Amino acid sequence: MKHPPRLLEALLAASAPAHRRDAMLGDLAEEWTARVERGDGRLATSWWYGRQVVLSVAPNLRDRWRSRGGSRRYTPEGEGWMRMWLQDLGYALRATRRNPGFALAAIVTLSLGIGANTLVFSAVDGIVLNPFDFPQPDRLVGVGTAFPRAGVSLSFVEHMSPAEYQDIARESRTLTHVVAWDMGNRQIATDEVAENLFTGFWWGNAFPTLGVEPHMGRGFSDEEIANGERVLVVSHSVWQTTFGEDPALVGKTLAVNGNPYTVVGVMPPGTSLYGMDLWMPMAVGPEVFPRERRQFQILARVAEGSSLAEVNAELEGLARRTEQEYGREHEEYVGWSMEAQTWNAINTGLLSGIAWIVTLAAAFLLLMVCTNVASLVLARLSGRQQELAVRRALGAGGGRLSSLLLTESMLLALLGGLAGIALANAGVDALSRILATLALPIPGGVEVNARVLTYNVGVSLAAGLLLGLLPAWSAGRTGVQTALRGDTPSATASRGRLRTQRVFVGVQVALAVVLLTAGGLLVRSGLSIQRMDLGYQPENLLTMRLTLPWEEYQGEAIAGFFQSLDEEIESIPGVVSASATTQLPPRVFSWVAWGMPGATDGADAQLPGSYLTQSLEDYFDTMAMTLRQGRLFDSSDEFGGPVVAVVNEVFADRYFPGGEPIGQTIRLGGMGGEGPDMRIVGVVSASRNRGPERPAQPEVFVSAVQGSGTNNQLFLAIRTDGDPRAVLPAIRERVRLLDSDQPVYAIATMEETMARSMAARSAATRALVIFAVFALILAAVGIYGVVAYSVGARTREIGLRVALGADGGSVRSLMIRQALLPVAAGLALGVAGAVGASQVLRVFLVGIGPQDPATFGGVSGLLLVVALSAAWLPARRAAGLDPVEALRGE
Amino acid sequence: MGKSDYLGAFEELVLLAVARLGEDGYGMTLRTEIQERTGRDVSIGSVYSTLERLEAKQLVVSREGDPTPVRGGRARRHFQVAPDGVRALQNSRAASERMWEGLDLGAADRA
Repeated sequence: MKHPPRLLEALLAASAPAHRRDAMLGDLAEEWTARVERGDGRLATSWWYGRQVVLSVAPNLRDRWRSRGGSRRYTPEGEGWMRMWLQDLGYALRATRRNPGFALAAIVTLSLGIGANTLVFSAVDGIVLNPFDFPQPDRLVGVGTAFPRAGVSLSFVEHMSPAEYQDIARESRTLTHVVAWDMGNRQIATDEVAENLFTGFWWGNAFPTLGVEPHMGRGFSDEEIANGERVLVVSHSVWQTTFGEDPALVGKTLAVNGNPYTVVGVMPPGTSLYGMDLWMPMAVGPEVFPRERRQFQILARVAEGSSLAEVNAELEGLARRTEQEYGREHEEYVGWSMEAQTWNAINTGLLSGIAWIVTLAAAFLLLMVCTNVASLVLARLSGRQQELAVRRALGAGGGRLSSLLLTESMLLALLGGLAGIALANAGVDALSRILATLALPIPGGVEVNARVLTYNVGVSLAAGLLLGLLPAWSAGRTGVQTALRGDTPSATASRGRLRTQRVFVGVQVALAVVLLTAGGLLVRSGLSIQRMDLGYQPENLLTMRLTLPWEEYQGEAIAGFFQSLDEEIESIPGVVSASATTQLPPRVFSWVAWGMPGATDGADAQLPGSYLTQSLEDYFDTMAMTLRQGRLFDSSDEFGGPVVAVVNEVFADRYFPGGEPIGQTIRLGGMGGEGPDMRIVGVVSASRNRGPERPAQPEVFVSAVQGSGTNNQLFLAIRTDGDPRAVLPAIRERVRLLDSDQPVYAIATMEETMARSMAARSAATRALVIFAVFALILAAVGIYGVVAYSVGARTREIGLRVALGADGGSVRSLMIRQALLPVAAGLALGVAGAVGASQVLRVFLVGIGPQDPATFGGVSGLLLVVALSAAWLPARRAAGLDPVEALRGE
Repeated sequence: MGKSDYLGAFEELVLLAVARLGEDGYGMTLRTEIQERTGRDVSIGSVYSTLERLEAKQLVVSREGDPTPVRGGRARRHFQVAPDGVRALQNSRAASERMWEGLDLGAADRA
């Protein structure tokens, strides 16, 4: 044997980078021979050789990995990747510059897709993920309560009693900085203007709980809380607007409802809790309230080392202990529960569903954009077969070519992403304006911040990867000889490309169908909400609030004030009717449990319950509700007389099915303690009292005159015969005549309120419709592209067919038939996907089922029409081909 | 001295071997030179890896030699120190000597 063992040589050759393989094998062969001739013995020498092979594997593979492209002999360690990538980037830039039309089309399309995603994410980030500026938001929690026995589901607003707060504050080991508050309105007097501010009344200092420092001054001390002292903290926005950023505001004294209060602090910006502009200590301690007085809410921090799950386990134990102790006395404690959730989750729960749907829709759109641009890249690639083949022949490995193409796609996507940021930035302004009208319980800043930029880059890279993978993969497989022969586009290559493009068209159609269906379902729901019979008339209706201070008005005086005010307002020209009420649609909130005197409830049964509204006589006229049975309130229903009630149809149907509600006596109780007995005297039409999207709920109306004056904060509803806002100055004037200190606030027409409650839905609907239209256009472009390409690639064949006697019509229908095949497949796939999507949308659908036939049929029809039109133009060109020209063409 | 002028310990060994062998430096002779002088049986793979790194740093230059039958008809690749390589070795030695200056670690044999 004159040479080293073949097997070992082959092993070394396998690991060696091509460019050093020969030299290395030669060196070892030379030394092997020298060693054998020196008399080392073949076995020992082979052993030595084997050791060399094994030890060389690591450096060989490392260098091979680094210089995969093979066009360079070596790339220095560390700099290798970077240098190679920079080289690729250089190629990519040159390629982009060489073909600006292609680059522009790709970048514009990508920028729309990525821009839409960036904008949607900026909204999701600002509204759902990071709505508050409080540090460690996952440890800031509220505690909600649910009383299934009283028909009260989990609530986090005005739902907890002082005794329940005290239990938590005293016994919880997993929560710290537990604070509680109640909300109301206070007037502060500055110069001449009386301003009504939404106010929180606190037990505890909220700053450490929120984890923020006051902008100026300090929070409340324990002593101030314990004594209910007259000190206050104002919001940053009030400090700015009302006090002109007065640097010496802290320490000054303000008149609040006529009493002197000392300003001790100013909140930092963004400390919005339900828009409360004024904080003050609760005037009395928690011990003075009865256990069932549930109008408070609490905030707390999860203690270091505890988890939310541990908090909830502890709260569950506390709830059970409370049930044991008080369940007999307070029936609502049977089966009740407490649950802590993060402040973020509590305040964004409703919106997050909508937000994720729009996010998903945007992602679908981006997927479409990527397939669209990928077909562009692919089309361009087939024009570059020769260039790539030359690169390959000159030594660029398949991996290197793939990385080059991937870099080009990445460059396009990143440029598209950059343009997308500009688009998103423009969109954020529009979005902020919409958000401002929503009256969300969050500061709601939507902006292009660092998180949004990170998301943008991530989405861009993902898009670049997606639309680069396919061309990169196909380049890795390009045969050198085939392409170098120069017969482009070769029949096989174009057939492969056509197949890929058909798959793309199918995918695009499927995605478009899903988006169109989702948009269609939301549009149809919006229309059916608009057509909905609300049970009251929202047109020409003005609403506002007025709060009478306890200090001046009590008992009968409150109803008396509002009665006089209603009469004054009804005398204004243009006003048809006016009434004060404690609550009104679209959102009533005060729920009570009630019973029949003498009846015994089953221990497990849910107590009957209803919304309870106190209003004046003209309320039903003003809202345009209809009397169905019995009578409405009249002047015989006096303070101190027998209490009468009017119920709505839902109440009558639910609790007296087939029976006679008129004349029945009900007793308010359960949640609100033992209320008075009241006799039902009338039944009115049901209004959608929990929003237009939900069916009407049972509601009991009691005359505010007969109420014991427990409500000092009422709404005014005013029906006009023209523009409701036109009577506003006259109303302010009448209010001033009665009591010059009382401002009206929260002024809105009912139609504005409705629009606001629908704003999130409308914004989502609008976004989905825009996405869907864009998707449809992309699908049409895709279909056009594949037919046009197919006609181009088959010119010769078509010419042959025509020469052999095929007429224009049959050629045209052949081309269209072939185009419609992927469309049909995509349509079937898309309808299946849309069925899934409609299930996700289910909770947002009103008046239609998730498989609404009109929407599904309409979308399919629309898509077919668009597909046919897109295929028609190139197919007609094929039909008009001159066979002589076509056959000579190549 | 730029970053690329910095020599790793093994790089220095290989570069010194190239310098010592002059015209005769190629894979096999460089490998055996290092082995004989340091007692380390270094692998041919790591020698080439390092040579190519030095070449990329322009500290050595290489040229293709003639194929010989004993090598199975494979050509040699000869390496020679480039001017930058000379400078790098001088710098490295100077740095090393400055570090040793006045340092006495006892009876260590510094031959």
